[in-house]
Amino acid sequence: MYLNDLNPSVKALTIAGLVFILAFLFDPITPFLYLIFVIGVTFLFGRFNKKHYLLYFSPFFIFAFGMLWTTLAFADAPSNPEQIIAVLWWEFPREDLFIAVSLSLRVLAFAVLSLLFIFTTDMVHFVLSLIQQLKLPPKLAYGVLAGYRFLPMLKTEFQQIRAAHRIRGVSQAKTIQGKVGQWKRLAIPLLAGAIRKAERTAVAMESKGFTGNRNRTYFHQFTVTKKDWLFPIFMFTALGLVILVSVKLGYFNIYDGEL
Amino acid sequence: MNSWKLKEIVVMSTLSVVFAVIYLAFLPIGKILVGFFGPIGYDLIFGIWFIVSIIAAYIIRKPGAAFLSETIAATVEVLLGNAVGPMLIVAGMIQGAGAESAFAITRYKKYTLATLMFAGVMAAVFSFAWGYFRSGYAALDSSYVIAMLVLRMVSGALISGVLGKYLSDALARTGVLSSFALGKEMRRRRAA
Repeated sequence: MYLNDLNPSVKALTIAGLVFILAFLFDPITPFLYLIFVIGVTFLFGRFNKKHYLLYFSPFFIFAFGMLWTTLAFADAPSNPEQIIAVLWWEFPREDLFIAVSLSLRVLAFAVLSLLFIFTTDMVHFVLSLIQQLKLPPKLAYGVLAGYRFLPMLKTEFQQIRAAHRIRGVSQAKTIQGKVGQWKRLAIPLLAGAIRKAERTAVAMESKGFTGNRNRTYFHQFTVTKKDWLFPIFMFTALGLVILVSVKLGYFNIYDGEL
Repeated sequence: MNSWKLKEIVVMSTLSVVFAVIYLAFLPIGKILVGFFGPIGYDLIFGIWFIVSIIAAYIIRKPGAAFLSETIAATVEVLLGNAVGPMLIVAGMIQGAGAESAFAITRYKKYTLATLMFAGVMAAVFSFAWGYFRSGYAALDSSYVIAMLVLRMVSGALISGVLGKYLSDALARTGVLSSFALGKEMRRRRAA
């Protein structure tokens, strides 16, 4: 499928660019239409577990709803207070309601863009592409990959330390002070263990000849082909069309430098 | 990057990964606080989200430590899937740049408590400027916005500055940092 085979750097930069543009738009129509478009693209051209996607996507609705009511509740005084929109039993100034809806839809639009990337990209491929296309220093990139690998191990270690405490008769703390102490007893050994492991890994990498030199070979070669350029062209054209629709409908609103 | 040892890079990344998980754990706490106090709820605990830049810079003491660690932590957060989205990476870079600016001002020579608290405050200021545009604080009442900024700066100084130093010192006492700048300094001080 197309999205999974796309060059990860091109994909990441395209999404960053789209998010950047969306961050300056304050109308409700553009993020809404683009949201639907991105979901469509993800499902049509991506290969991933659809159930997981829904699972990841649903918490964003809570976040978006939080954004909606806080923006409404703490809104600045509107410049046209006579324009009112009634929603059920409440009345809101038109301006405030539009901005609030726009900001919460924007949260969702950002979310689907991010999910498009996460669900169709392999983390290791992404880092390798960053070295090969975006000239990330290999020393840093492989260092980060090594650190990232510790993530599942940390969970086991955390459980181990807790179990070790239990076995030695450290009981569950009940007071707040006790809880802080307990947290410290867990955090320090966990961090110390992680640092030790990291140091050992670095020594192992260097002893096997890793110098961090750019002049090296790669198991996975990444290139940017003509096909890769289709993605940014397609996505930005669609955003342009959506903005055009919003302008035609008379909703379009861009950040005007208001402080 | 050439002045960095591989060991330092891997340790920095590992710290970033650990704190990325902690950052994610604090997001729901932030949301609960937001539920009670409005958007200002985040600012109460905002300092926790700068802590890795202060810890990494304090331990490794090389230019870029604050910026890189925060950027990596934010990237890992996004990869683990969070409810903020990819813009979190940009936010992390900006927070890291804020903390980094404080260390750059002291020319990467002073790592006292005051410097670390200053780094926390700078991270707060930078992240606030970003949040102002991104989250549309412009739409909020201005006295409320100022209260948010002040609270975030205090949170940055206390949570990331003071707590960050406390955690790093506790780690150094275990001896695992003996080959890093902080551990070396501690040994020198003990010998003196």
